[in-house]
Order: sequence, then structure tokens, then C-alpha cells
Amino acid sequence: MTVVGKNIEHDSARGHVSGESLYIDDFAPLAGELVVDFYASPYAHARIKSINLGPARDIDGVIGLYTYGDLHHNLFGPILKDEVLLAEDVATFIGQPIVVIAAETPEAARYAKMAIRVELEELKPILTIEEAIAAESFIGERRVIRRGEAERAMGEAEHVLEGVFVNAGQDHFYLESQAAIAIPGEFGAVTVHSSTQNPTEVQEVIAHLLGLTMSQVVVLTKRMGGAFGGKECQATHPAAMAALVAQKTRRAARIVYDKDLDMHATGKRHPFRNRYKIGFNSSGEITAAIFDLYSDGGAYADLSPAVMGRAMTHVDNAYWLPHVDIRGTICRTNMPPNTAFRGFGGPQGAATIECAIEEIAVKLGKDPLDVRRVNCYGVDSRNVTPYGEIVRNNTLPRLFDELSERCDYRARMADVLRFNQESKTHLRGLSLTAVKFGISFNTKFLNQANALVNVYLDGSVQVSTGATEMGQGVNTKIRQLVAEELGVQVERVLVMITSTEKNNNTSATAASSAADLNGSAAVDACRRIRARLAEVASREISLIERDLEPSPESLHFQDGWVWDERTPSTRLPFEHVVAVAYRLRVSLGERGFYATPRIDWSWTSGRGNPFLYYTMGCAASEVLIDRFTGELKVLRSDVLMDIGKPLNPGIDRGQLTGAFIQGMGWLTTEELRYDEKGRLLSHSPTTYKIPNVNDLPEIFNVDWIDNENPVNLRGSKAVGEPPLLMAISVWTAVKQALGGGALAVPASCEEILMRMTAATRPEVLAR
Amino acid sequence: MRDHILFYLNGKPQRVVGRAAFQTLSRFLRYGQRATGTKIVCEEGDCGACTVLVGRVENGSLKYRPINSCIQFLFQLDLTHVVTVEGLAPYGSLNAVQEAMVRCHGAQCGYCTPGFIVAMTAMFEETAKPCEADVRRAVTGNLCRCTGYEPIVKAGVETDTAKMQRIEELYPSATMLRKFAGISGEAVRIDNFFKPSDMASAIAFKAEHPKCVIVQGATDFGVWCTKRNFVPEAVLSLSGIEGLGDITLDDGTLAVGGRASLAQFESFVRDLVPQLAPVMDRFGSPQIKNAGTLAGNIANASPIADSLPFLYVTGAQLELTGKSGMRTVAIDAFYKGYKTLDLQPDEIITRILIPLPKSGDTLRLYKVSKRSHLDISSFTAAMLLRRDDSRIGNIRIAYGGVGPVVLRLPKTEAFLSGKPFALDVLHEAGTIARDEITPLSDVRGSRDFRLQLAENVLKKFYYDVSEANA
Repeated sequence: MTVVGKNIEHDSARGHVSGESLYIDDFAPLAGELVVDFYASPYAHARIKSINLGPARDIDGVIGLYTYGDLHHNLFGPILKDEVLLAEDVATFIGQPIVVIAAETPEAARYAKMAIRVELEELKPILTIEEAIAAESFIGERRVIRRGEAERAMGEAEHVLEGVFVNAGQDHFYLESQAAIAIPGEFGAVTVHSSTQNPTEVQEVIAHLLGLTMSQVVVLTKRMGGAFGGKECQATHPAAMAALVAQKTRRAARIVYDKDLDMHATGKRHPFRNRYKIGFNSSGEITAAIFDLYSDGGAYADLSPAVMGRAMTHVDNAYWLPHVDIRGTICRTNMPPNTAFRGFGGPQGAATIECAIEEIAVKLGKDPLDVRRVNCYGVDSRNVTPYGEIVRNNTLPRLFDELSERCDYRARMADVLRFNQESKTHLRGLSLTAVKFGISFNTKFLNQANALVNVYLDGSVQVSTGATEMGQGVNTKIRQLVAEELGVQVERVLVMITSTEKNNNTSATAASSAADLNGSAAVDACRRIRARLAEVASREISLIERDLEPSPESLHFQDGWVWDERTPSTRLPFEHVVAVAYRLRVSLGERGFYATPRIDWSWTSGRGNPFLYYTMGCAASEVLIDRFTGELKVLRSDVLMDIGKPLNPGIDRGQLTGAFIQGMGWLTTEELRYDEKGRLLSHSPTTYKIPNVNDLPEIFNVDWIDNENPVNLRGSKAVGEPPLLMAISVWTAVKQALGGGALAVPASCEEILMRMTAATRPEVLAR
Repeated sequence: MRDHILFYLNGKPQRVVGRAAFQTLSRFLRYGQRATGTKIVCEEGDCGACTVLVGRVENGSLKYRPINSCIQFLFQLDLTHVVTVEGLAPYGSLNAVQEAMVRCHGAQCGYCTPGFIVAMTAMFEETAKPCEADVRRAVTGNLCRCTGYEPIVKAGVETDTAKMQRIEELYPSATMLRKFAGISGEAVRIDNFFKPSDMASAIAFKAEHPKCVIVQGATDFGVWCTKRNFVPEAVLSLSGIEGLGDITLDDGTLAVGGRASLAQFESFVRDLVPQLAPVMDRFGSPQIKNAGTLAGNIANASPIADSLPFLYVTGAQLELTGKSGMRTVAIDAFYKGYKTLDLQPDEIITRILIPLPKSGDTLRLYKVSKRSHLDISSFTAAMLLRRDDSRIGNIRIAYGGVGPVVLRLPKTEAFLSGKPFALDVLHEAGTIARDEITPLSDVRGSRDFRLQLAENVLKKFYYDVSEANA
């Protein structure tokens, strides 16, 4: 019986439901452990004129106060080295740490924070993309992807329309806020438990900031209480502050952000302001497209260049663009550095062209689905992306047709149009959108992974990889893969805590590809162990079946048994083979490695094959809007995807439903409101509204087609991020209901009501 | 007079004295007992990750309800049995909800999971065979960021109900009840916390400590403490006073006791005032409604308190009891300005008297918020219409979220009086209503948004009423 492809339970599920699973704040305190907190800039932009720590030092229980001078280095950054851990002369965002506080109790830390005197001179901040453009405040170079002659084709186009797609940010709202514990070791070494998607980066940054070698820093991640990209880079800061305290005091040190601090001080999904100009003919075919993307990178680069890269390579989404110019510019503002968030720029790119298509449909009086279908990437032709990668194994046309059929799109659209004619109180909207999401890190060298597999004398197995578990089930998938490769029951395999001590130089658990990369590395390790065990077992079997030549190739490993297909009745228990191998001094551990083949990318040319394959899908959503209040209800959503052969259908289904609802939150209710000085007003769930159980579509159908992915692990596809983009159908449904016109993200009830009012009675708003 | 509180935690007695009684239950559990299954996320009662069951004596047995332990203080837990996620499966094997959550992939990252498990276990105390709507209602107060809820709802519906044990079966209450009965008549005094057993002592304490806070559910008080480091001069609990938790109906007037919970109120009025049901449904989470009181919603004096527009249009009266006896004050006279009340330092809201709409009256209530459920309103409205044939005889309109207090709209009401109930009339009334208010912009909505709602809601009212009659 095979294990891969089965719906088995999450390997932590029983701990989660019983409350037994441990997260950073659940670890029992170590003797003498200190509380770490920090004094943060209250201003988005300010000159630090002086820092007086005297009064805070005198507070009982305050053990240490540290500023940038206490660090070996202060400058770091995942792509550009432009970020400081502790502000030096100038603070550049609200929530930026200036002084690290180490105290014996939370109360002492709180009093210290109040007693620290930092003299600040407020400087004029840049708070929006528009302000940054006006001030020419940018991060890095403008980048370009270009094919054909977009300007010329635009000039020859039958119709041309221009518009702007604007989206606000989104807070990750992982339930477990940022947290870390640092424990000092011998000779300056430090061990850090961090709630991070990227233990290697935490290790590297701590080593750099504290003047240690990477080998002196061990970073461990048992699990995260959600991450969604928010702990790819930004878990580093709290971990580094805790490590600094551990280094200075020689005591264990723990930092746990509360939700408000976390929301104030950490970066979010990037706001974008994207101008588009589209040339098209009367059948809706796009003949030319020019996109000018601007993102709000925040105060430091963080991952913004990579996020912009993904936005630029996803602005085509599911559609063939013969002549196209794509330009991307990152704005430097005085907001917390914006960072990875599930989709990683992809949603902002894809939503831009979906928005433009709605406008084309309005202009031509066509059903938007017809415009989408006529522009959809082809299977054998019209199948090359603007950056030159061929869309292989393209299931988009099939997904469009199958979903519109399954969800009865045509008949329902007729109903919607009739309803809107008749109803005095409500509007309905229906929209069917697509997603084509490239899988692999855009940065080639990140596409590698290693895995360590240990088989113990009793036949039990441990596997360790660089993948981190944040609920997405990567550990469960790896467990299944290892169990199947070694032919043992899944219960015999334990996926161990992620540690830089076991797996070195790992990539972040990100880009949806943790199972692809780490799973492949684990399979590699298992196959080599299994080959050695097969040698041993074949000799063992030939001792029983005397006339059988040992033939390792003929061996089967399954359900804890090993046998030769030529004599299937002679079965050896797996643990017996292991014990024999041990006595024969055969290695029972292995390190596997995987590097994604066939990918390349060049920003100089804006061309390459950055993705191993694409995960695809279509979604249709129908919404109901109250004409008087703008209140929105999602009546029905149908999601149909091509996710290959799922390694675990139960887990993948959870990714589909979870990502869809999370995307819907970004597009509808989640509103980050700031005051005029850039201070976040919606910094807790009381004011920041992620979807609630009652926001689920009344009818919610989630399914996938049967399609094997020939280039990836067991025919599977990555599934973490792509379904988030399926929620764009909810937003375009709102846009369709309103008859087109400008609509921002999020389409909150306020946004919807004010757009309806502006469209029908502009004089009211002018008063 | 007792100098300690007594409660049970997963079947074991806990005696708490001194300042320890002033910590939140979630902190006590996590950092005192190292029962870390209960999570702290928002510490303001808005995510449900800290949900626990609190069993209180009702009609001679323990009645278990979910509450947010992050804004519940130990001093509130005298004579209760607290059951946490660790206590749900005391014999090692998971309960049926836990099994269903494992099977349905209802947990991903796991951080919200214990809260959901407890909230759904509570549901089975009430409902033997819950449907999807029951599950949604039960977990309205719990946020999950991973699953999109669909697998959780599925787990709730697919729980093996035959295997679902009630808390009473896990923790027979006889010993606890006996213990509680022996001491329930005693007043409790711990530091500046006082739980008297009679009204006179309560009034005397309040008179003695003019800045004392009456803490019943602590659903707002808790947030002052966790988020603003509020330190009360004194805390008065009404839990020991007989009768204050009662709700009665007498001659068309509803009398709601000063410590009756919102959950009690909701279940009492469900059939009595059907128009109130959707508002009560969206009023807050089960956890908040189980702890918070109607009197607290009134005394907290928020201009967006969800109960107030209803109380304004029905002409509710507050019964206030103080040293010099009892008096009543009309709800709209009770508010003298933003968070300023017509309430003497020694006075306590003992009852809320609500004349229910008469047959033939048309009542409509509106709540607009960013998210439909578990959200504080951006705008609220209530209309109570009495018709005179096809004309508007008398109409009362109250809006919330448009000024420092909830407002009646006298000009709009006067304009409408005697006019035909027609769309153009309500449309014009909307423009008058718009001019009658001066809302502010804040995190829950802009001034323009609120003005537009104030105008539109009257048209919405027109269609709601005409369609209902059509």
C-alpha cells in the first residue's frame, strides 16, 4: 500500500487539538532567563539627537540596555545590505528598534521602556507611493521585461484603454506573533529557537551582527503558529535582539512580540500602484500591453526586489501578450520594510491584468469571460511568456472550459444581469478569473535543499530538512515520502525539528516549494540508504532461498517488509534488514541533496526560464452587494485547480481553502488604516478584520483536475501560494457588479459604497 | 467575609488570595500553571485563541459556557469550574471534536486550534446534533488564519456525537457543588476587590470608592487593563447579589437585571423581538456575550454600542439604585456627553426597563461594520414606526456612530411625521438626517461614509418595510 498521495493526518494534528504542541512562548523558562523588549521609534522619520539610558538603568530588574554601538555590525539585508537592526542617527519607520531592553520581568522591561529618553527631531516622512515618486525615492534600479514592440503595436491598436490598479497592504496576522529564545553557549556560541521560515538567514544575520562565525550559531525551529511570508525575513530582528542579550548577559533571553507591537513594527504585503495601457481589437484580443508597476518597499529593501520580480513575471497571469513592456520600480518610504506575503507580488501583478480585462469587457460590451478566454495562453502556440519561458503542460484552456461548465457560468451571468435590472436594493456580480503561478524561487541559487535521514537499529527513522513547519503540512508530506521510499509504515518516520546543525545553508520555506525541494532531497537520501539495504537484504534472502542469486534490483520495500519479487513469500522485516546492515558495518544514515534542474534567469535581458513549472487554476465567484450600505456577501465560489498529483490531498485541500479565504480578506475586509503621520490605527483584531467563519462563501466548491506534473516530485505541484490568487475573482465580481470603474483593494463596504455613490450621485460627495 | 476566591481548574480546587486574584486567567494558566494549550494572541477578546469553559452554578447544576480567558480575571471566577483544552481529554484519548478536527484537517498551524476545540466542545453542551449554522455560530468568536474555516466547520458537523461526552460526565459536579453551596452566601474581599452578598453593601462600597469600577464580564475593563495598563481604584462585583441576573417580562415591559449577560438577554428576546435577533447575533462572539452584560454595554457609554439605538427608540428607562433609594432615568437623558453619565458615585444600574414594541409597530435595526460578524460597528440605526393608515403616524429614529453619543434625529422625525410612507419621502428624510449629524472619521469609517449611510439607511428602511408588507 502506498503512502504518498493518501489523505493522512497532519503529523502535529494530535498535539494541536490537545494543546500539547509547543511554540516559543510555551517553552518553560530557563533559570535566570531574561525578558527582551525594545524601545521603538514613535516617528516614521526622525533624527535621533540623544539617547539617555540613565533613568532606565536604575530601574530594579533592568539588566541591560543596548544600542547599535553594542553590535559588531549593524548593517544587513537579504538582497541589498541596506538595513540596520538598531537605528543609528536617523529612525526611518515607526516601530524601528532603537534600544534593546533586557530585564528580569515584563514589568521591569515596561518601566524601562517608559524611562528611556530618546530626543528625536521629527523629519518629513514619505508615506505613500505617490510621495516617493514625487521625491524620487526608490530602492534599486527600475527593471524591465520587454517583448516585441509595445509602443508601435499600441499605436496600431483598434482600441486603447488606460487605467490604474491600486492595492493596499495586508498584515500577515499569523496567530503566533514574532518570537525567539536565545541561549548562550561556550566560547561565544549561541543557540536560538526562532519562529522563523528561514533558520539559515537567522543564523547568518546573528553571526554577522554579533561577530560570530556561522558555525557558532545554531538556529532551531520546531514550528510556527502561522507565518505566510511574515517570518521569512522579519523573524530575524527579534531573534537577533534576543541573541544580543544572550551574548551580553550570558543568560537565556526570550522575546515575544504582542499582537499590537507585531502589527506596528513589521512589514506587510506590498502596496502597489500599477498603471496599465492596453491595446486590443474588437474581439477583445490584446495586441499590446504596457505595465508600469510601483511598489511600496518601505524603509529597507528586505525582499522587495524579488517581490517586484514576481509581480513583473505574473502581470501576464494566464494571458498571451504579443507585444508587451513591463517596468517595475520599488519606492522607498518610511513604512516598516514590506516583505514576503503568500503570493509574493504575484497577486498584485495578476490582479492588475484581471482588472484591465474587466475594463476591456465593459468597453466592448462583452462578457469578461469571453475576453479572458480569447486571450488565454495556448497549448501549442501563443504559449510563451513575456520573459521567454514556454508555458508547458498548459491546462488553462481546459480549466476555463471545465469550470465555466461546472459552475453554470453562462446561465448564472444571465441571472445576475437580470437581477441587477430588477433589484432596487441589491447588486450582484459574477466573475471567473484564472491563475498561472510560477514555481521555483526567482533567484536561481535558492533552488536547492539538503536532507538528513537516519535509520535506527529498531527500524525507526528520523528525517531532518531545511523545511520549516508553519501548518502547511510540509513535514507530513516529507514523512509520507520517506515512509514510502523506505517501505515502512508512516508512524515509524518522525520529521525532526529544523536545525541549522543538521541541515546547513538552507533556503527559506517559501515560494510554495518547500515540499518540492526538501522532499526531493529527502527522497534522494532514502534511495541511497535503500540501495545499501537492498544489497544487504538480497544477500539475506539468498541465504534462505538457496538457489536465488542475490539481486538488489528485484527487491521491494513496503509496509515494513522487504522481499524479492521472485520469491514474494520470503519476507524480511525492515528492522531485521537494518540490524543485519548495522552488524555488517553498512551506513544507516544519509544526506540527500536536490537542485532544481533547467532554470535560469537574467535581469539584464529580462529573460529566462525562472520556473520549473506552473501551478494553474480558475475560480468563479458571485457576490451580493447592498446598494445602500455597500455591504458585501460572497454567495458562491467555485475553485478548480491543476495541482498535479497531490502528495496529500487532505493537506492540499486545506491550502486551497485557506489561501482563498486569506486572499479574500486582502481583497475585501482587511484594511490597514494609518493616521497622517503614518501610524497604523488598525493594529489588532478589534480594528483589523481578517475573515471570520461567517465570511465563507455560502457555497464553496473546491476541486482539482487529474493531471500529472511530469517534472516534479511524484507528479505533484506546489500549492501554498497559487490558490490565494483565486480570490481575485471575488474582487472582479464586485467590479463587475458596479459596472466597472475604479475600485481599490480592499473593496471594503466603505470603498464599495463610496464608489457607488460617486458613480451615481457625484454631487453628494462634493458637498 | 472570605479573603480568597475558590474555583476548580480541570477538576482540581484552586484557592487564590491577595494580588494573585488580579491576574488574567490566561496568564495564570500559561505562566502560573504552565498549561500552555490556552494561547494568548490579541489579549483583547477578539480572536478566541484563549477560549476556556467556565462552569457556573445555575439551577443547581454547573452550566458551562465559553469565555475569553485573556480578559477574565481570577477574581471573577469565584465559585466556578474552569475547563481548559488540557482538561477536555483527561484520560488520554481525544474527545470526539478533537478526533474530528484531526480527521478533517481542521488544524494547520495549530495556534488557534485549542480555542476552536473548546468553543466547539461548548457547542455540544447545548446542541446534541449541530448543523452547519450551529457550528458557525459557535466559532464566530474564533479567528483562524490558515484553514479558511471550511475544514473546521466540517469537523464540527462530522463530529461523532455518540462519542461526545458532556463536561458533567468528565467532571461530576457533586463535590464542587457541595463545596460552593457551603460558601456561596459569603462576601469576598481581596485587597480592593469586593464581592458583596447584598445590595446595601454594594452601594456602601461604591459610595466609599467613587472611582470604583463595577466589573461583571470585564469585556471592556479587561482591555483597559491589558492594553492601557489601567489600574482601578477599586473593583466591585455584583455576582453575589441575588436577583440582579434576572430577566422578566411584565405587561409588555422587559426588565433586565443589572448583571444579566448579553447571552441571557439574547436568548430571552429571540422570539419576543425577532428584529433584535440578527443584531444580537452579530453583537459579539459567544465568548463576549457570555461574559458581558447589557448594563455594561450601557454604562460603557460607547456611541457605537450595539444595544443603544434599540433602547433609544423603544424608550428604555434605567433603574438606578443608590444610597437615597431608587430612581429611573430615560436612556437618552442618561448620556450627558461623550462617556459622561447621569449616574451618582453611589448609584448602580439595577435594571433596564424596555417597553417592547406594540403590535402594529414596525421596528428595524441596522448595524454596518467592516466585517459582518465579530466587529465593532461603524454605524448603527434603529427605527420604530407607528403608522396612521398609509401615513407615518409617529417615527423614532436613533443613530449610533455619528456623534459623541447615540442620537435621536428630531428634525428628521418631525419631517416624517404625518407624511406618506413613500420612497421620495424617505429619500428626502435621508438628506435631512444627513444634515442633522456631524460624524467624525476614524479607523472604522470616514465621515463621508457615515454621512452616506445616515442618508441611505432610511431608503433601505423603506424597502425593507415595503417588501415585508408586499
